[in-house]
Amino acid sequence: MNVITRGVKNSLRSPMRSGAIILMLAISIGLILSMLVARSSVESKINDVKATTGTSITINPAGVQGFAGGGNPLTSAQVATISSTTHIVSATTTLSDQMGASDTNLTPSLTLGSFGARQQRFESSSSTETAPNNSATVSRPAPTPRIAVTGTTNPNSYATNGGSLTITNGATINGSSSDLVALVGSSLATKNNLTTGSTFTAYGKTITVSGIYSTGNTFQDSGVIMPLATVQTLTGQAGDASSVIAKVDSSENVDATVSNLKTELGSDKVDITSEAQQAASSVSSLTAISGLALAGVIGATIAGAVIVLLAMVMIVRERRREIGVIKAIGGTTRKVVGQFVTEALTLTIIGAIIGLSFGVVASGPMTNSLVSSQAASNSAGAQLGGAGPVFRRGLNQLNTNLTKVQSSLTPQVFVASIGITLLIAIIGSAVPAWFISRIRPAEVLRTE
Amino acid sequence: MLSVKNLTKSFQSPSGTVKALAGINMDVETGQFVSIIGKSGSGKSTLLSMLGALDIPTSGNIEVDDQDIAKLSSGKQTAYRAHKIGFVFQQYNLIPNLSALENVMLALEFGGVKSSERKSRARQLLADVGIDESQQARKPSRLSGGQQQRVSIARALANNPAIILADEPTGNLDSETGQKIFDLLHNLSRSKNTTIIAVTHDLDIAGKTDRTFRLKDGKLTTI
Repeated sequence: MNVITRGVKNSLRSPMRSGAIILMLAISIGLILSMLVARSSVESKINDVKATTGTSITINPAGVQGFAGGGNPLTSAQVATISSTTHIVSATTTLSDQMGASDTNLTPSLTLGSFGARQQRFESSSSTETAPNNSATVSRPAPTPRIAVTGTTNPNSYATNGGSLTITNGATINGSSSDLVALVGSSLATKNNLTTGSTFTAYGKTITVSGIYSTGNTFQDSGVIMPLATVQTLTGQAGDASSVIAKVDSSENVDATVSNLKTELGSDKVDITSEAQQAASSVSSLTAISGLALAGVIGATIAGAVIVLLAMVMIVRERRREIGVIKAIGGTTRKVVGQFVTEALTLTIIGAIIGLSFGVVASGPMTNSLVSSQAASNSAGAQLGGAGPVFRRGLNQLNTNLTKVQSSLTPQVFVASIGITLLIAIIGSAVPAWFISRIRPAEVLRTE
Repeated sequence: MLSVKNLTKSFQSPSGTVKALAGINMDVETGQFVSIIGKSGSGKSTLLSMLGALDIPTSGNIEVDDQDIAKLSSGKQTAYRAHKIGFVFQQYNLIPNLSALENVMLALEFGGVKSSERKSRARQLLADVGIDESQQARKPSRLSGGQQQRVSIARALANNPAIILADEPTGNLDSETGQKIFDLLHNLSRSKNTTIIAVTHDLDIAGKTDRTFRLKDGKLTTI
C-alpha cells in the first residue's frame, strides 16, 4: 500500500460524508461544464455573426436620411477623401432625387395614399383645412406622386439580395458614364409601357431605357436608376452626392475607419453608420450571456474549491492525531500531504465524473434556454427604421443568426472543465496541506 | 549507546515559562531495558519526545551512536525516527482504517523497505508478537487492547530500530495483559539487543527492568 492507495482508500472512509462532498462537487462541476458550453457556444455564435457581418460603411450628409431631413450634400472633395481613406477598398457614390410632374413625362406607379400626402403637406398648395384644435385654418398641399431617381456609380448596390441587380429586360448601365440612359423599375415600366430602347423625358432631356430591373421591393421597383454623373448634370449638382457606401478591407478595421472618416470629414458634417456597429449592438445580448456564463464558471469554481477546502480542513483537523502518529513513525510531511492531496483528488475526480456526465446532459437545454430568452428580447429591439437595403439585409441575417445558437461540447471545453476541476482540487488541498506541514507530532501525542 | 547531557526543555504558558526538563543527564547502554517513573506532569512524555526527535530541546545534547540528534535537520530527524526509533504508545495509536498488517507495512514503507518485501516481513513481525493470520487482516477496532499493543510493538520493531521508546505501554491494559506485553518487550531487548526506554506508572514493571529512573520536577534520578 503506498501514498496513493492510502489516499484513495481514505477518501471513502466515511461514506456518508464522502457522498455529500461528492454530490456538492458534482453539482458545482456540472454547472461549470454547462456554463463553459454556454459561453463557448455563444462566443462561437458572436464570432460567426461578426465574421458574416458586412464591412460596409454608409456616409450620409449630416441630417439627411433618404429624402427626409436637411443639409448640404456631400461634395466631390468629401467623396474623394472617403475613397482615399486607408482600408477603404471601394466606394459606391449615390445621388438621390425625386421627379415631379414638371420634371418628367413619366406617370408615377406609386399612389400617394394618406401617408404620401402627409409627407408633402408643407409644400405649396391650393387647399385648406381646419387644424385639429379648430383654432385656425391651415394650407394643405395638392399631393403629387413623385418618382425616385437614383444616380449611382454601381447599379448593383440597389439590389436587395446582396448580389447583382436583377435585370428582367435589356442590360444594365455603366455607373461611371455620363450617358443619358436609365434602368427603370418594373412597376414604373409597366405603368408607362416602357421597354428596352424606349425613351422618356427627365429634367428636359430625353433618356433611353437601357433595361428594366426588379428587386421585389415596391418602392424600389417604382424608381429610375441612372449613372451618377448623369443625375449630377441633370439636377445641376455637379460633384455632389447624397450618400456613399464604402467597403472596408476587413471587419477588424471597420471601427478604426469610421473613426478616421469622422476625423477627416468632421463628425458634424456627416452621419456615419456601419454594419459592424449594428452587429455589435445586436450581439450585445449574446455578449451579456457570455459574461453571465463566465461569472457562472468563476462562481462554481470558487464554490467547488471552497467545498473541497472546507471538507479537507475538517478531515485534517479530525485526523490530527493520525497525522502526528504518521510523522512520529517516520512519515515525511511530503508523504502525508501527498496522501491528503490524493484524498482530495479522489473526491474531486469522482465528483467530476458525475458532474461532467450531468453537465453533458444539462448543457444543451441550459444554453438553448438562455439564448432563446435573450434572442426574443433582442428581436424586439432590432426593429430599426430607415435602414437602407444593405443594412436591412445585414440585420435580417443577423437576427436569423442570433436565434440559431447551438450548444456544442467541444474537446477544448471538456479539457477546460477538467483543468478547472484539477484547479479546484489543488486550491482545495493547498490550505489543508499547509495545516499538515505545521502539525508537530510531539504536540499531538502530548495531548494523550 | 544513548547519552543525554544537560537536557532542558521550557515551554511558554500564560502564567510564564514552564521548565519541563531541568538538566537531564542519562547514559543508556545498547540493549538495556530502562524504565522511567514519575508523576503525571513530571516531564516523562516530554523526555521521550526529545529522545525520539519529535521535539527540539531548549538546550543540551542527545547523542545516539555519537550523533547529536538535537542538531539534525528536520528531514534527517524524520529519517532518524524512521530507522532508529520505534514508538509504542499508551493509546496504541494505530491508523484506524488500516488493518493490523497494513499498519506494520506503513512503518516498513517509511523505513524504505521495498514494496515486494513489506507484506511478508510485516506478517513475520506480527507473528513474532503473537498476532495470528486472521487477526492480521483485522482493523484495530476489531482487536483487543492487548492485541492492538502487540501490533503497535510489531510496528515499532518494523525497521529494526536501535531504540524503542514506550510511553505507558501497559497503561491501558489489565495487569495480566500488561505483564505479557512487558515480557514481550523484555524478550525483545534480550533477543534483538534493542534498547528500550519505557515510561510507566507501574512500579512492579519498573522494578523488573535493567535500570529505573525517577523523574521529578524536571530532574532525573537513578533508583
